[in-house]
Amino acid sequence: MNKRAGIGFYIFLVVFVFFVMFPFIWVFLTSIKPPGEIFNNFNWFTADPSLASYENAINNRPLLRYMWNSFVVSTLTTLIAIGFASIAAYALTRLPIKFKGLILGIILAASMFPQIAIISPIFNFITAVGLRNSYMGLVIPYITVSLPLAIWILSTFFQKIPWELEESAKLDGATPFQTFRKIIFPLAAPGVFTTGILVFIAAWNEYLFALTINTEDVWRTVPVGISLYQSQFTIPWGDISAATVLVTIPIVILVLIFQRRIVAGLTSGSVKE
Amino acid sequence: MKFQLNEKQLGYLMVAPALILVLLVTLWPVAQSFYNSLFDYRLNDPSRSERFLSSNVDLERYANEYFYLSRDLELLESQAPDGETADAAASIRTEIEGYHDSLITENGLEDQYAEVEEMLASFTAISDSELKYADIDNDLADDYKNYLDEAQAELTALADSTDSEEFATTAGNISGTLGTVDTTLIESNFIGFSNYQRYLTDGRMWQSMWNTLLFTIVSVGAELVLGLMIALLINRAFIGRGIVRASVLIPWAIPTAVAAMMWGFLYDGQTGIVAHYFEQFGLIDDASVLLSTGAGGMFSVIFADVWKTTPYMALLLLAGLQTIPGSLYEAAEVDGAGKWQQFWQITLPLLKSAILVALLFRTLDAFRVFDLIYVLTGGGPANSTESISIYAYITLFSQSNFGAGSVLSVIVFVSVAIISVLFIKFIGSDLFAGRSGR
Repeated sequence: MNKRAGIGFYIFLVVFVFFVMFPFIWVFLTSIKPPGEIFNNFNWFTADPSLASYENAINNRPLLRYMWNSFVVSTLTTLIAIGFASIAAYALTRLPIKFKGLILGIILAASMFPQIAIISPIFNFITAVGLRNSYMGLVIPYITVSLPLAIWILSTFFQKIPWELEESAKLDGATPFQTFRKIIFPLAAPGVFTTGILVFIAAWNEYLFALTINTEDVWRTVPVGISLYQSQFTIPWGDISAATVLVTIPIVILVLIFQRRIVAGLTSGSVKE
Repeated sequence: MKFQLNEKQLGYLMVAPALILVLLVTLWPVAQSFYNSLFDYRLNDPSRSERFLSSNVDLERYANEYFYLSRDLELLESQAPDGETADAAASIRTEIEGYHDSLITENGLEDQYAEVEEMLASFTAISDSELKYADIDNDLADDYKNYLDEAQAELTALADSTDSEEFATTAGNISGTLGTVDTTLIESNFIGFSNYQRYLTDGRMWQSMWNTLLFTIVSVGAELVLGLMIALLINRAFIGRGIVRASVLIPWAIPTAVAAMMWGFLYDGQTGIVAHYFEQFGLIDDASVLLSTGAGGMFSVIFADVWKTTPYMALLLLAGLQTIPGSLYEAAEVDGAGKWQQFWQITLPLLKSAILVALLFRTLDAFRVFDLIYVLTGGGPANSTESISIYAYITLFSQSNFGAGSVLSVIVFVSVAIISVLFIKFIGSDLFAGRSGR
């Protein structure tokens, strides 16, 4: 459908983008207001912008520590998931094994598992091995989410790599493992990278396991840490909006740089080519 | 000769680690959840903090109490003011020693008991539950517990009828110890399906199930309709695609908990701008309605979810739209089909599998909803936005009731399985067509 875009269309676009972005715009505008101004009025712009809320957000709670924790946990999760998943996805798409449909079915089913159904045994397990309040204590349960996701997306990407290259490698006497390392992996690298971003975002956003397993403040991740800014008596909206802006910035950067890849990864699992 | 795997064997070898890991972190915990749900299993109650299929003895505490008990019983006999009481005290001692001996010997616990006593003597805490607990015969445990009650009553009677103060004190001490010994003999907390019976007739369970279904159907429905409209509108060439794509991805990419905090601020009755504008435009009577009433709470949660996931839905559908060849529309135009007809005859049928897959993912996601509601309303006001996952979480971790909480977890799991099966029936094998290859 190659309709040309008229002026009405662009007006619609601007309104649409404005509505989608409105919460961010408002939260950003709030974060630069002096804390006293937040509760009195609904003015969009403040006369004297201040960074006081940002100072409070960082000083009242260990926000930077939360971000570091999230970063470490998400990176470890991504590396482990991609490592296992790329090997499995290669075999699933390229090697002549039986029960491919069944195995993919199991993996898809695993990715749809409700976390609440597995959290109590996982909690018991992590407690028993003494990994409460540690990075590995989160990385292990995150495999439940990340590994099926990674295998699912990677197998789509691997499927798209032309067979001819592989066949000629085989003729030249390469072993399957050599073919994987020298031919498939370099060709699949963009897909692997995309999968990595999606797994990273999924791990960064996880809430239920992080809430339950890492209960000490120094081990909390961003989503849990942010949700604890509200105290019982007051809700420091200034701190909260500043903290929100701070934790959203890395994601905005990630999205801006990799948006094409993210869209490719997201849609790969759902559309037949 | 060099050992060489053929391609097939190598394939299985490469799939195995990932598959085993996936099964280990999903199937095993689900099986455990199911097993837990058959017990009255509570982390905050020492006599129920493990799952006991048969009666059990907490040897650590038992050995400790028994040490004082046998000492005091001897003391009691020597303090007896007359022959009759001495006989009574002696008979209690013999009975208890008899039960103690059968408890240890009939269950073959001699070595374990000795080891526990040794550790107690050196003040070492016992953390190994294999050592700490031992299975015992159900009938013996019953008899022993019954006798402990009897002996307690007898001692109280003896203490009341005597004038000797020291005898009465010792008898009182023993009576107290007997009560403690009684708690170290733990009866099985296996309760079978009775927790299921309880929760399947529980009003709060059905209320949270209804909340979850309402949330799922309304938000996924709204996301589908809006997402489809947006996808149809932006499925054309225009300037600024990148900006639109990025602005659409950001709500999807930020953590749900962060989105929930933002919306909590926007809905707030005093400072929330969305609440303020809604009130100004007469959509609601008062700005506080959004978070302080049941209907307002449900609307708020759904609205925030629609905001966060419609863009994602639109992206999935847009990718589906872009695979429909333009020539089909040209042909339809030539045949004189209107826009509306084109939509119903071409777009929708060809988009069907993309829509169903997107619906499947979104429905399962929405049904499991936890963080959005937990952070935004906490399930309130008055449980009116409590989803089944939140109810399960509260039962599991706020009440430390792992048995009952597991029942709710299993209910969520079964519901998700039913939804998936229904969807897969509609989608059929399309889902795997692009992947399993030759």
